[in-house]
Amino acid sequence: MENKMVFGKWEAITLLMNMISTKIVLNFQRKVAEDAGTAGWILTIYISVLALLGFMVIEKLYAEFEGKDLLDIGEYIGGTVGRVMIGSVIFIFLVYIVTVVLREFSENLKIVTLTVSPISFVSLFFLAGMIVGAYLGLEALVRLHAIAIPVLTVTFLFISFAISQYFNISRIMPIFGTGLRNIFVGGFTKVSIFAELLILFLIVPYIRTHKNFKTVGYTSLFIAGFSLTMSSLIFLLVFPYPAAIEGFLPMYQLSRLINYGRFFQRVESVFVFTWGIVALLYLSAGFYFIVFTFKKTFNLTYYQPLIIPFAILIYTMSFLPPNLDSTVILETKYFRNTAWLVTFVMPIVILLIAKTIKKRKKEVKHSNG
Amino acid sequence: MSNVFFKTPLSECIFRFKVYYLYRYRGGVNTLSNFKNFIKNALFFNEPQKTEHFILTESQDASPSEEQNAGDTANTKPDAKKRSRRLPRKTQAQPPLTQNENAPLTISKRLSENLDYMKTKYSLPVNGDIVLREFDIIVKHKVISAFIMFHDGMVERKIINQTILQPLMLLSNLDIKSTEEDIVSYISKHILPQNQLIITQEYTEVINMVNFGGCVIFLDGINTAFVADVKGWEHRNVQRPNTELVIRGPQEGFTEILRVNTALIRKILRDENLIAENISIGRRSHTPCAMLYIKDITNNALVQEVRKRLESIRIDYITDSGELEQLIEDNVFLPAPQILATERPDRVAAMLAEGKVAVIMSGSPFALVMPVTFFALIHSPEDSYVRFTYANLLRFIRILAILFSLLLPGLYVAITNFHHELIPTDLLLAIAASREKVPFPSIVEILIMEISFELIREAGIRIPGPIGPTLGIIGALILGQAAVAANIVSPILIVIVAVTGIGSFAIPNFSMGFAFRILRFVYIGLGGMVGFLGIAVGLFIHGLVLTGAKSFGVPFLAPFGPKTSGGLTDEITRAPIWKQEKRPDFLNPKDKKEQPTISKGWMNKK
Repeated sequence: MENKMVFGKWEAITLLMNMISTKIVLNFQRKVAEDAGTAGWILTIYISVLALLGFMVIEKLYAEFEGKDLLDIGEYIGGTVGRVMIGSVIFIFLVYIVTVVLREFSENLKIVTLTVSPISFVSLFFLAGMIVGAYLGLEALVRLHAIAIPVLTVTFLFISFAISQYFNISRIMPIFGTGLRNIFVGGFTKVSIFAELLILFLIVPYIRTHKNFKTVGYTSLFIAGFSLTMSSLIFLLVFPYPAAIEGFLPMYQLSRLINYGRFFQRVESVFVFTWGIVALLYLSAGFYFIVFTFKKTFNLTYYQPLIIPFAILIYTMSFLPPNLDSTVILETKYFRNTAWLVTFVMPIVILLIAKTIKKRKKEVKHSNG
Repeated sequence: MSNVFFKTPLSECIFRFKVYYLYRYRGGVNTLSNFKNFIKNALFFNEPQKTEHFILTESQDASPSEEQNAGDTANTKPDAKKRSRRLPRKTQAQPPLTQNENAPLTISKRLSENLDYMKTKYSLPVNGDIVLREFDIIVKHKVISAFIMFHDGMVERKIINQTILQPLMLLSNLDIKSTEEDIVSYISKHILPQNQLIITQEYTEVINMVNFGGCVIFLDGINTAFVADVKGWEHRNVQRPNTELVIRGPQEGFTEILRVNTALIRKILRDENLIAENISIGRRSHTPCAMLYIKDITNNALVQEVRKRLESIRIDYITDSGELEQLIEDNVFLPAPQILATERPDRVAAMLAEGKVAVIMSGSPFALVMPVTFFALIHSPEDSYVRFTYANLLRFIRILAILFSLLLPGLYVAITNFHHELIPTDLLLAIAASREKVPFPSIVEILIMEISFELIREAGIRIPGPIGPTLGIIGALILGQAAVAANIVSPILIVIVAVTGIGSFAIPNFSMGFAFRILRFVYIGLGGMVGFLGIAVGLFIHGLVLTGAKSFGVPFLAPFGPKTSGGLTDEITRAPIWKQEKRPDFLNPKDKKEQPTISKGWMNKK
């Protein structure tokens, strides 16, 4: 039944868009401001281009492996050992990021609106969404993405337009921020912002053709890159550099500024809505791929029995960092500097090896024939 | 004993208690294993049952001959049997009556045996509404004993007198110029002037027909019975639909009579490709149903799936299409209905024209249409009859009504408890002032009012007509003045509950309204627990459940989740009628085009 499931390009694009762009509601804008100063938006453009180039290489190599995900290719290279090795890397990668993001969302929400509730209580609501999402499966998740993402995009566009009165072009001066070296050399590893592109290499069997794979990859990277750039640009246009690197939750800070007359002010609570939905979409999809990867890595028949134990595991692990700051460090300092190795380098290496093996097999077959 | 009990480890104690309890109260080892199974099933993973899930794919056109056969079987019975009946055909899936297992299933040549059998079968003379009339007829100078049998009240007596008894008793000895030797053939061709006469040798068929307004004629010396269709019970005439009123558009509603209902649809569509297949449901009741579809539009796989589900039903009696709906729907626990129930023939006709399948059941004024998507449930038939600008206004109002009905009380609780800053200061002060004297937290306050409102609504339906107005007075007093005066609830809450109530009345589908009524309480709970986050979680899970649902293989939130091409012209908003060129893609119809690109021919320049 599961193998028969396929979904369209639109569903896949919205899934990836959300997975990559979720950081807009977390700390992305502040992080790029820290890295490149007032040129945070240029850094975003740069890493978007890098991500597109990286994907271009992967996509060319992927042409020969239509309909196969990374685990299948791992199996092709090294049999069960290959599959388990690659599966384990992806599994650890996903568990790390989902655990950290769960904690970040819960902490942020606690700070913004549920100040007296314990963090374990707030996390439980996200966990419930994750569990239900994983139980209902990828089909329901991608369809919900297809419906929710356009609505959420409109909400963020609304916030962006509503605060346009605060835009000041002088705030993004000096144009190259902390310097070209910081942007183009130091910023290279920041391509890990697009780490969630890895999900695309797991949904290959569901989007069937290589043509679809290409369309989904390029479109989602382009839209996500555009959204990230616009969000960092808007943030830097509104907040001067010193204030930009001080605050937390840039999008929330922006939404607090909305003020139209006596009635339309303090609408940031509405932001909690969109924020919650974005977080739930991200976490549930991420969690689904954790159990899915584990199931496929170890060749299990069902993934459903894994849901509750893994949910408890992630829930518990999310409390390991002592506070929000250390959680953010776990993401920005470690993950967002190294994840590119898994998202871009690993697939390229695997695909190159697989291609060589395929070529050799072909040659052997040809010489035998 | 107690010492031993306390010295053993805890797990051992629990085990001993379980064994004692089960032996003492549940009757021993079998129950113990049942208990273990119960615990195992509740706590551990159960391998999914291998059930067949139907997915509606591209039209798998049957081969012409197959399709022809399907059409033929639906339209007419084989000529050899010369049946022109319109009564339910015996479906393959129907098992023989269990009570008939030891009884003769074929008709005897001896009239006395047949008489005895029928008397036993119908418990005569205990059964008061069965009429048995014995008489003699003269055919070809032979006197033959005969009897007829029918249910009093279910038949047209005049027709029996004029077209059965009179010809048989008085006219049968007329000199008819015929060389026909076979009595059966002679009687059916020359004596019984009936337009629907079935000749059968099976008791089961005789009984099914008599139970549904037939009159059976048995003759001595032949192992064949004649059953004439003389239905004639009292019934409601075609009237205005009670639950789906429109200002613009046809004002006819279905009745309880199957053939009237099929005729009402046929009258609108006037298409020879409209097929009305007969299927009977109920092992005892044999309730006739008609499955309608347009042969060259509807996907074959969909038709087969509906037919399969209908024919596979095993139930003794079925009284309304509401029961049938529950027997064939995909998901029992989904809050939203997965089949559309409507009492409007025009609505059924429009949906058939899109490529859907309808089922009409004898005795029910509600036709079932399937598959259905979420968006079809928020449409009203009137949307198509008024100009598209007006229809769009109505659609937006309806969406607003749904949001109010579902979320307003939950949002109120969330805002008053967690997000005060969202409310403008003046409004916040007004709410605070009105709540000042109320002793309850807002969640209790709203639950009191919502439950009272549900009580009044339920009582309003059940209350006998003459004392109806009393309820209005009580409702107005409880919900309005007295509750506020007693400081039980705040005036603003009355407004919230009233708007929610009005919102739920504006939802065009009754079942859908129910779904929102139930879920409203869930949202109140979630909003009361964690404010907007709770409502966001609720919406997320609600959305997931709906996106994961299917109605006869069609995703419930199509064409948006999943996104499908075409059909977008009449889902949330409605495009002008000339723009609705394609049938919904998610139905995978055989004929995808509903009208050409330019349907207003008069606009073409000559």
